[in-house]
Amino acid sequence: MSQPVVVQGLTKIFFDDARGEVRAVDGVDFFCRAGEIFGLLGANGAGKTTTLRMIATVLAPTAGTALVMGHDVQREAEAARRALGFYSATTALYPRLTARETLEFFARINGVAAARVPARAEELVARFGLGDYADTRVDKLSTGMKQKVSIARTVAHDPPVLVFDEPTVGLDVLNALEMQRVIAEFRREGKAIIFSTHIMSEAERLCDRIAIIHRGRIHACDTLENLRAATGKHYLEDIFIHYVELANGDGGGTP
Amino acid sequence: MRTVGRLLEGVWPIYRRETRAALRERTIVVNSIVIPIVLYPFLFWAMFTGMAFVMGQTEGFVSRVAVIGAGPQHRPFLTMLERSEKVELQKHPSEAATALAALRSGELDAVVEILPAAEGGAVPGEFALRVTVDEAKERSRTARERLDRVTERYRGEWLAREARARGVGAAEWQGFSIRSRNVSSAREMGQFLLGLLLPMLFVIMVAVGCFYPAVDATAGERERNTWETTMTLAVPRLAVVTAKYLSVATFGGLAGILNVGVMTASMGMIFAPLVAEAGEGVEFRIPLAAVPVLLLGALLLALFVAAGMMIFAAFARTFKEGQSMVTPFYLLVLLPVMFLQVPGLEFSLPLAFVPVVNVTMMVREAISNTFHWPQIGITVAVSVGVVAACLWVATRILAFEDVVVGSFGGSLGTFVKTRLLAGRGRGGAGEGSR
Repeated sequence: MSQPVVVQGLTKIFFDDARGEVRAVDGVDFFCRAGEIFGLLGANGAGKTTTLRMIATVLAPTAGTALVMGHDVQREAEAARRALGFYSATTALYPRLTARETLEFFARINGVAAARVPARAEELVARFGLGDYADTRVDKLSTGMKQKVSIARTVAHDPPVLVFDEPTVGLDVLNALEMQRVIAEFRREGKAIIFSTHIMSEAERLCDRIAIIHRGRIHACDTLENLRAATGKHYLEDIFIHYVELANGDGGGTP
Repeated sequence: MRTVGRLLEGVWPIYRRETRAALRERTIVVNSIVIPIVLYPFLFWAMFTGMAFVMGQTEGFVSRVAVIGAGPQHRPFLTMLERSEKVELQKHPSEAATALAALRSGELDAVVEILPAAEGGAVPGEFALRVTVDEAKERSRTARERLDRVTERYRGEWLAREARARGVGAAEWQGFSIRSRNVSSAREMGQFLLGLLLPMLFVIMVAVGCFYPAVDATAGERERNTWETTMTLAVPRLAVVTAKYLSVATFGGLAGILNVGVMTASMGMIFAPLVAEAGEGVEFRIPLAAVPVLLLGALLLALFVAAGMMIFAAFARTFKEGQSMVTPFYLLVLLPVMFLQVPGLEFSLPLAFVPVVNVTMMVREAISNTFHWPQIGITVAVSVGVVAACLWVATRILAFEDVVVGSFGGSLGTFVKTRLLAGRGRGGAGEGSR
């Protein structure tokens, strides 16, 4: 059976007035299994967000393919969107809707049957502890509550694939830990999760497999154990630097 | 068929979300609902009340008039002036030059000179009256109007007396008399006045009604970082754009209709002081047959203005940027309104081909209970064509991914120059409207 997410030769070229053609993502290949957290680890500007935006159908690939639950993100964009939930720091909530209205809207628009929408919203309110704030406008909520509503709206239609683009950026330690706990819970529910970060400890703690992305290319992709074995380095930070230096032509020999 | 079904299925929830969110934004509610209901009726009430007050003030003062050269034979004229309540006959200087100097300095409001008729006149004792006023002064203009009434009466009496002295009866020398009357009913007069005023406000209100929702639905989304959220909804991109467009058009149409309704209802009160002054009966009521045409006009205008504004606002990344990008289009829409003030402007066939003007003329005529169906047909066709052209332009713009995601740094002008005219690719991106 095919994996929930399969990415092959995914490429994105932007045109920049100053730099001309820029290859933001250059022939990326990977897949993500059900019940797995697949981490995309890279520095700022490495191509993580562009890759995830292509999978989420926000951007169109210049070349290559990405399949979400078997749906091509270009040819069957709508079906692909229906099969995934996309969360990122740049996908904010509609500030003038209440938490409940937000959940109902996302459930309905992403394919939950109209008759089931109120019950689904209620389930989400209960699961994420939004009870006291369900009828409060989003712009009146605290950062922590907004984050909960945001996660709840990502899974409002119970998608089999979840994409988290640097979800802990801007969060304090407690909220970041809460976010990691929730993502781990989704893995236990059997969802295929793609998770991008530049924080090594997060990737170490959460990811089943890690892809190291640098300048738009994946330079290594395996479990943490296998990456340790392949590089002879224990800490993910050292492993990351090793591959980045290799990619930069520096030999990767830093002890 | 299935695609259309999916499209509509997506449009409704987004339309509802857009409209609900817009109704919770103070700026939009104020500009699209409160202003059409309150502002113009209030402004007109204030203006006409002010005018009535000024007219009352003007009526209250007494005109200071000096008469030069009035011999004993003109005693009746002086008596008439003395009996006139609003005229105060000043101790007249014998020199015209002194009186004119007093007029210029504001001590007098008018100077009447009784002069001998040129070349001796046709009948003995004939004379000429010269009334000198200072048109730059309101008091002086009022004095002239008052003097006109007195001099006209004096002239009539003088002619009658002279005719009698020559054995001619009044009926014989007054060969014909002139009287005018108005065949328009009070309701028709009201419709005429409404037709002068309402279409102009209608266009302004539709434009104001669309302005903030258009900026909010595009640039506002980018500023709030919700644009990307919307882009990941499991509906066709066309559904997102259509829903936003219809929501903006709803606010524009609503603003126009609300304004027409409220203005019609409040015109009676607003005009009451002036109408009472003129002593004419005017009834402000829009004919029932005009209602469908008004609704059609609101729909066509709102669809056009919403499309145009969203095209301009699509390039903005912040609300402020959106406002400045939409303003030129807003002014462009208001420009034809000035032509409506041209006297005697008729809803001709050529005019029916001019966008905005045609809808405005159609509305104006409908309010006056006049319907030129060929012109209305052309107006509908032209408006639909213009809206279709705007939507086509919108789809062309949305094919550029960097515009859709908000990374394009420029306005519509920059876009046309660098992308359409220069023929550069789609910003390294594929189709945006999937």
